[in-house]
Amino acid sequence: MAANDIQVVVEGSDLPRRLKDKLYETLDAKGIDDVETATDVKEAVEERYLDTRVDPLDPVGTVSAQSIGEPGTQMTMNTFHYAGVAEIDVTQGLPRLIELVDARKTPDTPMMTVHVDPEFVQERLDAENDDGYTERDVAHEIVWQIEATRILALGDVSTNVADMLVRIDLNEETLDERWPTVGTTAEVTAEIAETIESKLDVSTVEPDDATIEFGPEEPSYRGLLQLVEELREIVFKGIDDVSRVVIRKEQTEDPDTDDEEFVLYTEGSAFGKVLDIDGVDASRTTCNNIHEIYRQLGVEAARETIINETMNTLEEQGLGDVNIRHLMLVADMMTNPGTIESIGRHGISGNKDSVLARAAFEVTVNHLLDAAIHGEVDDLDGVTENVIVGKPIKLGTGDVTLRMGSRPDTESESAD
Amino acid sequence: MVDASQHNLVPEHTIVEEEELEEVLDEYNIDRTDLPKIKRRDPPLRELDVEVGDVIRIERDSRTADRAVVYRLVIE
Repeated sequence: MAANDIQVVVEGSDLPRRLKDKLYETLDAKGIDDVETATDVKEAVEERYLDTRVDPLDPVGTVSAQSIGEPGTQMTMNTFHYAGVAEIDVTQGLPRLIELVDARKTPDTPMMTVHVDPEFVQERLDAENDDGYTERDVAHEIVWQIEATRILALGDVSTNVADMLVRIDLNEETLDERWPTVGTTAEVTAEIAETIESKLDVSTVEPDDATIEFGPEEPSYRGLLQLVEELREIVFKGIDDVSRVVIRKEQTEDPDTDDEEFVLYTEGSAFGKVLDIDGVDASRTTCNNIHEIYRQLGVEAARETIINETMNTLEEQGLGDVNIRHLMLVADMMTNPGTIESIGRHGISGNKDSVLARAAFEVTVNHLLDAAIHGEVDDLDGVTENVIVGKPIKLGTGDVTLRMGSRPDTESESAD
Repeated sequence: MVDASQHNLVPEHTIVEEEELEEVLDEYNIDRTDLPKIKRRDPPLRELDVEVGDVIRIERDSRTADRAVVYRLVIE
């Protein structure tokens, strides 16, 4: 009965869902069950909530800039160290934040977080039908489809100058590990030989199961060395841009269970290619390059990623008390034109309509000169221009017109 | 090609009917060109058959409210 009354009180308020839930929680925790107290609490919360809302004509952009800027001064200038997850080197701190708001085409340390599709794992386990084949083995199958495999990882390369031959001694264990779904060593060796033939335009011989030999068409020492050089660059399996994959067992996002799953962290990123790989969960896999996200998933996902990445960067530095709304505003501005635009001279600030606003920001003379050449007109609509010419700005009290005094017909009525 | 709309980071995109759009524009007292933009080729719109000038309704899982509805104008 009492619980119902409290529900009526809380639901009748102007609070957003989240605050309502929080209110229920607090009332419950404090053991408040009489309607009167609950109403008092509700009213107090409501008042605070309405009080903290942004007023019309509030300069939210300026407030955001200051709220991010001030903690930003406390950030360490150079933080290149191994971040929380899986000994992968990730740029953090101020360099990362700058990289994000500048909307750099590629981050300094691109990386992806790849989730394994649970259905795929089950499918593979059923197909293998072998007790020794575990979830970890399935995850490794995917790892080797992502991590670039070059020849040096597979075996030894030696040159035989007398016969003008390059000889590759493949390591059978490595082959087994990296081609888990292919039957015999000979088959893998044949596959590798084929790749070499097509990439280097040579003919190969396989003296035994794990050895490949080939040489230049015309015997020449330079030709031989050239072949070895080119051989090193060939990617036999995986994605060129991904140099390393680290595999970790983590709790699933479902907090109700203790289930664990494998998550792969990659050094280097190729988001589009990874999403196409069988067994990769294309609904949860992410990467830290906002442009790749934008290309594959669109502006809205890019906006989301900008918020996540900036917030994580700040949190990592112990600046997690920056309100998320400021970062949301930044992300909204950056994705407003339907593409990702940087903040600063080449992006948002550089595209302002007003010449004076642009000139006040950076490279003053260039802007004034260009504007003069093209005969630009400044409508004095924005804030900066009006500060420059000394007019009231259209923000806060500057944009409302109040008239003092009273009209004759109401004079008698206004007693206060 | 992966279906972008299935990804957790991608909120639901739907085309807005003219009537609903009028209401929204009236409420905020803006033109449709004042809305944020979205490219016609944006991955989540692939399945939607949109034209330039349409307005897309996007329903986000908001961090600060329960749900947030925003609109974007389809361009180019």
